Amino acid sequence: MKELRMILKKEFIHIFRDTITLALVLAMPIALVLLFGFTISTDIRNAKISVLDQSKDTQSKTLVNQLSASGYFQVVSYPHNELEIDDDFKNKGIKLAIIIPPNFEENLSKEGNATLQVINDVSDLNVASILNNYVRAVVQRYTADYNDNSSRGSAFDITVKMLYNPESNSVYMFVPGIITLIMVLVTALLSSITLAREKETGTMRMLLITPVKKIYIIVGKVIPYMIISFISTIAILVISVTVFKMPINGSLLMLLFLCIIFMLTAASFGMLISSISRTQVDAMMITMMGLFLPTVLLSGFLFPLNSMPMVFQVLANIFPAKWFILAIKDVMIKGSGFFDIWLYLLILFVMAVVFIIFSLSRLDKRN
Amino acid sequence: MSVSAISIKGVNKTYEGKIEALKDINLDVEEGEVFGLVGPDGAGKSTLFNILTTLLLPDSGQIKVFLMDAVRDYKSIRQIIGYLPGTFSLYPDLSVQENLDFFAVMYKSDIEENMSLIEPIWKQISPFKDRKAGKLSGGMKQKLALCCALIHRPSILFLDEPTTGVDPVSRKEFWDILKSIRQQNITVVVSTPYMDEATRCDRIALIQDGRIIGINPPQTFINNFKGKLYTFKSENIFSLLKVMEQCPLNCNYYPYGEHCHVAFYEDMQEALPKFEAFLQEHHQTYETITPIDPSVEDCFIEIVTHSN
Repeated sequence: MKELRMILKKEFIHIFRDTITLALVLAMPIALVLLFGFTISTDIRNAKISVLDQSKDTQSKTLVNQLSASGYFQVVSYPHNELEIDDDFKNKGIKLAIIIPPNFEENLSKEGNATLQVINDVSDLNVASILNNYVRAVVQRYTADYNDNSSRGSAFDITVKMLYNPESNSVYMFVPGIITLIMVLVTALLSSITLAREKETGTMRMLLITPVKKIYIIVGKVIPYMIISFISTIAILVISVTVFKMPINGSLLMLLFLCIIFMLTAASFGMLISSISRTQVDAMMITMMGLFLPTVLLSGFLFPLNSMPMVFQVLANIFPAKWFILAIKDVMIKGSGFFDIWLYLLILFVMAVVFIIFSLSRLDKRN
Repeated sequence: MSVSAISIKGVNKTYEGKIEALKDINLDVEEGEVFGLVGPDGAGKSTLFNILTTLLLPDSGQIKVFLMDAVRDYKSIRQIIGYLPGTFSLYPDLSVQENLDFFAVMYKSDIEENMSLIEPIWKQISPFKDRKAGKLSGGMKQKLALCCALIHRPSILFLDEPTTGVDPVSRKEFWDILKSIRQQNITVVVSTPYMDEATRCDRIALIQDGRIIGINPPQTFINNFKGKLYTFKSENIFSLLKVMEQCPLNCNYYPYGEHCHVAFYEDMQEALPKFEAFLQEHHQTYETITPIDPSVEDCFIEIVTHSN
């Protein structure tokens, strides 16, 4: 045990004497949360639109009023023909145009349906599809109101209840993602780089020919970075809760336990990487390609897994991040407890054990 | 009969199935001697060191360190060996004292207990004990590394090219330190590419292209030198080198520092005038040719040329 304490002490000396890296590691999570929180928002307000109202009757005006009253849209221009709509897209920066054809009210009352044309700027696909959904929602409500007023009675009503995230707040989506990224970066990347550095400078050989147990070398490497990453995680949670009003619906203890298990998995993945890489550059490249990219792309953090080709959905299973994001979302947003997420915990834990066993066997390989 | 500190029998090592680093190595190191492994860069010295320090497995052959098998009992061997690698392998961001403390604990050793052993070296670096190891001079780094390698009072100390890149004064100092370590009954195995250092070992093994081409005390190598060695100064060593290819005499010529050495394997009464005539015939200018005692390097060259 004296050896382990000494290795830990040495590791902390490395960390505290490298002040730039330390500052970066502690500041990065906070910067990331603030950046994502304030800039990357999928909620759009006051998008500029044009309306070409060719019927100019009561109903068409009601519809336009409802559109601008929704808060999603701001009608900046009323063009007179379709050519002018084209100009608006180019010169007034509108994202969407709506054309209400002639005889809107008449068609609605006599034939029971009317058409509406929506023109989108799809140079930004995400914005376009979000705005489309907003239009759909407004028109749906308008139709419902119209049917009520004209006492026709609608065939059915759709009532949507938004569970867990009633305001569709995008903060809910990326806080778990950022926690994952930070833990992967700090624990896996940093611990694998420092272990690779010991190989590169030859200090690893010096350590290996001492009688010290290999598991101490590994554990001594991992614990300091787990502690730092734990501090970062707490910082992210505090900011998410105070600045962005992110709820923690499950138990805080459960959440922290889950984070510790994932840190263990990430750190052991880092050990695995450094056991197969010879230099720091190797370790960095392998972590980036083998862990960081899959964490961003294949975890369901930014891109939904369900819409990916089958190959990637299957591939995602072998990366720890997918399981952690599933679990942390359940705990933070749905308020799940241990018995809801035990399977995810087990998967993460088994991964950690496998990684550690493999890297221990690699570390002492003598050929 | 004393026990061999190290006994190596028929060791081979090939890297990636192609590069033969070691070919049929056989040697014994006696307890308490300073044993030198002498050979040029790439001869296989470091590979042999890595195998002896149990960091590398041989393809075949048997290695015993104090009767322990280097493949099977590597854990016990690691307890009794000290190792100074060829490149500086301490933590540069830790201070001198912190490095020593760290390795003392790693070796489960007590600094106070073994201070007597490292004291002469430690005295020289202790004024800098709060300085970071990375900021020390080359000689100081080696002394610190030596302290760290000796802190657990090993039975065998392995030094892989300890004087490469160290200035001549520090080199001499370093060899004096090795002598004093040997007096503490520690077997020392040292590798060096500098032939002039070889004379300071009790016995040396000459190694070339992964093969051991001779094991003897340095003086025995010198006594066994077969040729008659002469030295002279030439104005143009390179043109001389070309001309010598046509020399009809049974001799071996090579540049040696600023001088030229020629080893003759003939009766000198006739050979020397013939040689001078040959040089004049080929318009080579030179200063007086004088006989000289061979060095270990001359012996090495003789053995290498004769084995070809």
